[in-house]
Parts: sequence; C-alpha cells; structure tokens
Amino acid sequence: MSGALAAADIHFPDSGPPTGLAGAAALRATVYGTAPQLLAPVPETVPLQEINIALPWKPPVPDVFWFNARLRAWFAEQPGPAPLAILISGTGSDGNTAKISMLRATLYGAGYHVLSLPSPTFPGFIVAASSTGVAGDLRQDSQDLYAVMQQIIAHLPHRIRITDIDVLGYSLGAANAAVVKSIDEKEGKLKIHRVVMINPPVSLFMSIDRLDKLFALSIGTGDMAIDNLYRKLYIRLANYYRATEKVQIDGTDVLAAAGSVFKTDADFQAAVALTFRIALINVFFAGDIYARTGVVVDPKHPPRVGDSLESIARQLRDKPFREYFEKVFAPYYLARRPGETPESLLAASRLDIIADNLRNNPDYYAQTNSDDLILDQPELGWLKSTLGSRIVVYDHGGHLGTLGEKQQIADMLDMLAGRWQGGAK
Amino acid sequence: MSGHVRLPSSASGWAGAALTVRALLIGTVGLTLGGCATSEFSMHSLPPDTPAAVNASAVRAAEAMEAAAKQAADGKKSTPAAQAAEATAAGPQGGGQPPAAQTNADAPTASSATGGVSEGALPAQTGQVAPGSTANAGVGATNAGEGGEANKPDTEPLVPLTPEDAPSMYTYDPWERLNRFTYRFNSRFDEAIFLPATNGYRRVPGIIRLGVHNFFSNLSEVDSVANYILQARFLGSAKSLGRFVLNTTVGIGGLFDVAKHVNLPGAPTGFSETMSTWGVHPGPYLVVPILGPSTLRDGVGYLGDYGLNYGVNLFDLYRGYQSYALGTLNAIDTRSNVGFRYYATGSPFEYEVIRFLYVRKRLIEDDALHGRGKPKPRDADAPAGR
Repeated sequence: MSGALAAADIHFPDSGPPTGLAGAAALRATVYGTAPQLLAPVPETVPLQEINIALPWKPPVPDVFWFNARLRAWFAEQPGPAPLAILISGTGSDGNTAKISMLRATLYGAGYHVLSLPSPTFPGFIVAASSTGVAGDLRQDSQDLYAVMQQIIAHLPHRIRITDIDVLGYSLGAANAAVVKSIDEKEGKLKIHRVVMINPPVSLFMSIDRLDKLFALSIGTGDMAIDNLYRKLYIRLANYYRATEKVQIDGTDVLAAAGSVFKTDADFQAAVALTFRIALINVFFAGDIYARTGVVVDPKHPPRVGDSLESIARQLRDKPFREYFEKVFAPYYLARRPGETPESLLAASRLDIIADNLRNNPDYYAQTNSDDLILDQPELGWLKSTLGSRIVVYDHGGHLGTLGEKQQIADMLDMLAGRWQGGAK
Repeated sequence: MSGHVRLPSSASGWAGAALTVRALLIGTVGLTLGGCATSEFSMHSLPPDTPAAVNASAVRAAEAMEAAAKQAADGKKSTPAAQAAEATAAGPQGGGQPPAAQTNADAPTASSATGGVSEGALPAQTGQVAPGSTANAGVGATNAGEGGEANKPDTEPLVPLTPEDAPSMYTYDPWERLNRFTYRFNSRFDEAIFLPATNGYRRVPGIIRLGVHNFFSNLSEVDSVANYILQARFLGSAKSLGRFVLNTTVGIGGLFDVAKHVNLPGAPTGFSETMSTWGVHPGPYLVVPILGPSTLRDGVGYLGDYGLNYGVNLFDLYRGYQSYALGTLNAIDTRSNVGFRYYATGSPFEYEVIRFLYVRKRLIEDDALHGRGKPKPRDADAPAGR
C-alpha cells in the first residue's frame, strides 16, 4: 500500500451510515435481485444485434487496453417504425448485463426499439468513448454518452425508423440518463422525450463513500483483509463440494453453492462492497493511465500486453474512491478547469446540478426503493421533493432488487408513455 | 439398436469436408493473427435473447432451492440413501469433454448469465440442485458422513476444511508472459472463428443441439470408465459403463440421455483427475492455444484422454477424415454451451481473474476428490497450484 492519505486539505462531507437506508432484507435483495416468481411477463424471444463503433474523439488506446478500441452496444430492432428506448447500465457494467437484458425484454415487448449502452465507468467505455479517460465526472461522462448516442443513431441503417427517443438508466446510469436529457434540452440534437431513472444516486461521491465504508466494515483494510475473506469463501465452497462429492463442478447448482457461501449479514455486505470495489479498480487503473498521475502506473513505463498486472491489482484493491478522487480525479480536472476547487468538483457529482430541470420539466421520472443502500434519508427526501408526483418509491428491494418486478415494469412503461398518474404508494 | 454405429458417409464427402476445414483454418488463422479488418461502424445479428425461458429456469431454480431448504429443515436424518447416492453422482450435465477442453469454459460460467445454456437446450439441469444442497445441509450440520460411501472406499468422517487449508490467493504462473500472449491469441481466435460458428450453430433447433451434445457426452464415457478404474473408484466406473450401454442402445447411439432418467446422471472424469487422485498437483498455470485456461496437469490429462479415445477409436470416429468433422463439431458444441466471451469484462485484469477462478475451481475439485478423512496439508507459502 502506498502512503497515507496525503491531501488532508480536501473537505469531504460525511456520508453517514455505510449501508444507507438498507437493512438485512435489503442487502439480500440487492445481492439476489428480484425474486423470479415476481418478474413481469416477457416475450419468448428478443432479436439482438451487436454494434461496434469507433469514435473519432477518443485519445490513443493504451497498450493493455488493446481489446477496447471500439465501443460495443446492443440493439433490439422492431419490424416497423417505433419509439427508441436507450438504456444505460450501472456502475462499471457493460450494456448487455442480466439487468439490461431484463429491461430490454420488457421494453421490446412494449413495442420499443432498444439500444443499450455501457456505463461511462465501464472500462470498455472509458477507453473507446470517453474524451478524457478519467471517469466519474457526471457532466463530462454524460456529455460523452450524449455524443455516443448521436454517433450510433446517425449510423443506424435507414430501415430502422425511430418515432421518438426516451432514455432510461439504472443506478449510476440513471443519473447519467437524466443529465444526458438536460444536455439535450440545451443542444436539441436528439430531442429526447422522457427519462426514467431507476434507483439513481443523488450524490455520486456520497454513495460510493458509503460503499467504501461498507468495504472497511465487512471486509477490513490492509492486505490480510481480502486474504481472510478469500480463505473463508474458499473453504465454504470446498466443504460444500466435498459434501456433494462431485468430481467436476458445473453450473447446475450455482445457486445452492452460493447459498453455502453467503450466510450472514456481513457476507452480503461484503458481496455488495466487493462488487463496487472491483468496478472502482478498473476506473482507478484506467484513470491513472490517462491522467498520467503515477499512483500505480509509471507514466513513463506503462504496462504492456505481456506484463503481469497482479501487483497493480494488489495495490488497487485496497484503495477507496476517496483516494481516486484525491490522487487522480481532482488533480486531472483541476489542472484543466481553472477556477474549480476540490469542493466544487465534489458538488458537481450531485444530481442537483440539474435540480431545476428535474423540478420543472414534467418529462423526468424516477423509481426507487425506501431501503436503497446508495441513498440516505435526506437524499431520498430530496428526490421526493424535487420530482414530486413523478417519483415512485417501493417499500422493499434494496438497490435494484425490484428491477423487473411486475409493478416496477408497469410503472416504468406508464412513465415512458406519459400515462403516469402519480404514485399513490 | 445396438453396437456398431457408423456415421452415414461417403469417402469423397469426408474429403470435401476436410478440405473445407483446412481452408477455413488457414484463412482464419491468418485473419486472427492479423486482427480483423475493421470499419468505423458495424452491426451484426446475434442469436436472439430468450428472456421467457431465462425467467422460467430462474423460477425452477428458486423453487428447487426452496424445496431443498425445506427438506433440509425437515430433518437431515431422513435423507434417503438413494438420494444421497444421486447427489454423489450428480456430475456435470454439460460434461463429457475432457477436462482441458472444458476449461475456457467453466471458470467464468457462473459469472455470466448469458443465453447460451439457458436457452432451453439443456433442460432438467436445475432439478439437480435439490439433492446436492440436501447433502450439504446434512453433512454440514453433523459431519456424520451419511450416504457418502458410494464414492470412496473409506468410511472416515468428513473433516471440514478450515481457513488454514485454503491454498494461497496467488497462483503459480512461471510462464505468465507466454500465457498472456496466448490468451490474447485465443481471444482473437474466439472472435474470428468460434463466435461466428457458434452464433450460426445456435440457430439450429435446440432439440438437435441437445442430441449432438448428448452424443459427445456419450462418447466420453469410455474415457470415464477407464479413468474411474485407474482411480480405484469402481462404482463410478460401473455407473459410467451403465450409462454408456444404456444411452448407446436405448438412447440411439447416445443422442438421448436416457440414463439420467433412471438415476444415472452423468459424472465424467478424466486422466487429470486420475493424476490428482494419486497426488499430482495442478502444476503451473497454462493457457493452451485455442482451448484456453488450463494447468500443466490438465494439459497432460487432456492429451491422455485424447490418446485413450484415439486408441479405442470408438465407432471408427477418431481416425481419418471423419475425425476432422467430429473434432470441429465437438469444438462447436463445447463452445456453444459456454456463456463466456473474451474481454466482456472490458478489463485488463481479466487474465488474473480467469486464472484465479480456474485454478481455484480445480483445487476445490481436487479437495472434493480427495474426499473424506483429514484434509491434505498444504504449503501455505507456495503459490496455488505448485
């Protein structure tokens, strides 16, 4: 681990309890997702096309990222003219996750063309589509997304006829979706109609800081913390398979095996925290290369294809988002934006940069859960007061554990179609 | 129908097929090494998503989980012996390939819930969750080792592993540089050859693909029978033989897995597991060209399995021109049942992640293979695999 936190002069706001609004049930819902029995009906098949696009504004591709030179996106095409729904993935995720596939199925079933895009924090996006390579700035990331949408739509074959454009996103993607629309309100290049935010964060920094606390709480800090977690999980799995006396592990009992691994609240906390940390490792690594900040990568000798990255991974897995902010993100953007301060950068990671749009434009909608772990009470209150009747808050599900549920899907489709009468829930 | 099954063929047909295969290989290897020609924008069809089937299989899995949990709660002692035996033998449904051929496969499968396997081509997988977890609940609670004697001759109690028994987090990879370049080659080969081939193959009706899959699984039983004997696990050998006889006859040359329905689910094994049984460590991590992640032991095991099949030359399928077609179809079948895509993570750490998962999976299988009694001591400081 490299030196202790250096920039003590940055004032970080207190992010409150490490699990936000979530209790034990919400953590489980977050890890396991929506109970399959509750899922909304979906079509038997959804046609799928893969888009590969080279984006002209991207900086040169670093050698270790050779495979990310082109951005990958997915398109589900209706046979005739139809409205287009653009889906944006959550933190660190590609545009073809299980969650995307669930949303895509319901949207396609409701008659939309569906274009799904990775999160601007997905390494494939950072390399192929980010104009800076330093992810995490809400406005910059959304600006890049907006440009990507324009490029893709301009290249679509003429047979695809689009009658209207709506944008949806979940988790961090929800915040991106809303900011994209706010940019479009000014620039008017796509004429985006409605936006639905699903489980949005209010403050990117606060949400991730909570998850870092959760990591420290459930896994610990230092090299031994991860090692201990690994040993615990390894022997649980090994004992499970020894008991079943299988010769070769296969996919048939993954769920049962997972049940033998995740037992206590701390296990579920660790699972959530680890998922976010893995996403952060990629963002940190790419950011350090592009910003040439030298935290884990020597700018003069960046790693090449054959080089081991294990020691870098070992350093990064202990590093919280604060460290990314202090050592990569803030130095990079402060050098390029005269007049900005660390505090103003932090403030710009909040959804209130578009508060007026959210409050005054009736085409912004949101869905969230009262026990979402990326929110605290004031943040949930802010969302409710800002969006008024255009937000629905479910009483369960943690973070994204209502995604795909009958009610969530029905409400989402009502919002997109302008049929939403206000949440009485 | 019994005994000798020949693929309908004429010599010239096979020669043509072989020529095509060779031309394809030469052309595509060149393409792969050079990297694909790229344009600014491209759009191509993928096999359709099948969300209804995915959801239905998730419901089945959840119900099986609940049933298992309920059964476990009802009392572990009531576990019938037959069920325990089933749990014992509930080997990979998707198996039948020699270990190394499975490799690029199994490790990441858990993380990617893609449509490949869950398209309904391989139903009835989820039903096997129940017995497995039942056995787990029983043993976990009591360590009494009921019903486990089916597999191992010893009747020692199951001594649970403790965290000190876990192998190091770090993996023995002395050939890392070469491995990383091979990994990159494999990812390009996959994009240029395997994925287009499997995307086409997935348009074939599921029932036919299932038949093809069963056919190859059945062929591999010969290897399993032999290796179970070499491992001195004669019950396993008898079961594999039983499966082979039943599926080859009643199952029409192996196209249908009828043995599964009479409580003889597939549990393939191979030469690598035989070596493991007699104390051979996995050895250095090894990325095999085209096949993917492996270890030195798995690589040697794969050669052993292939050698055995070649020697037995079942149905005359492993020599001459038909062996090219067979190998190609086998490769496509294997690849199409694996929901893995190179660099879907977008991350340069993917090499580390796959290496970690693959070697841990094999070590867990080794631990399960060594079975009851006291766990074997591990050198805590040695990187995993050595």
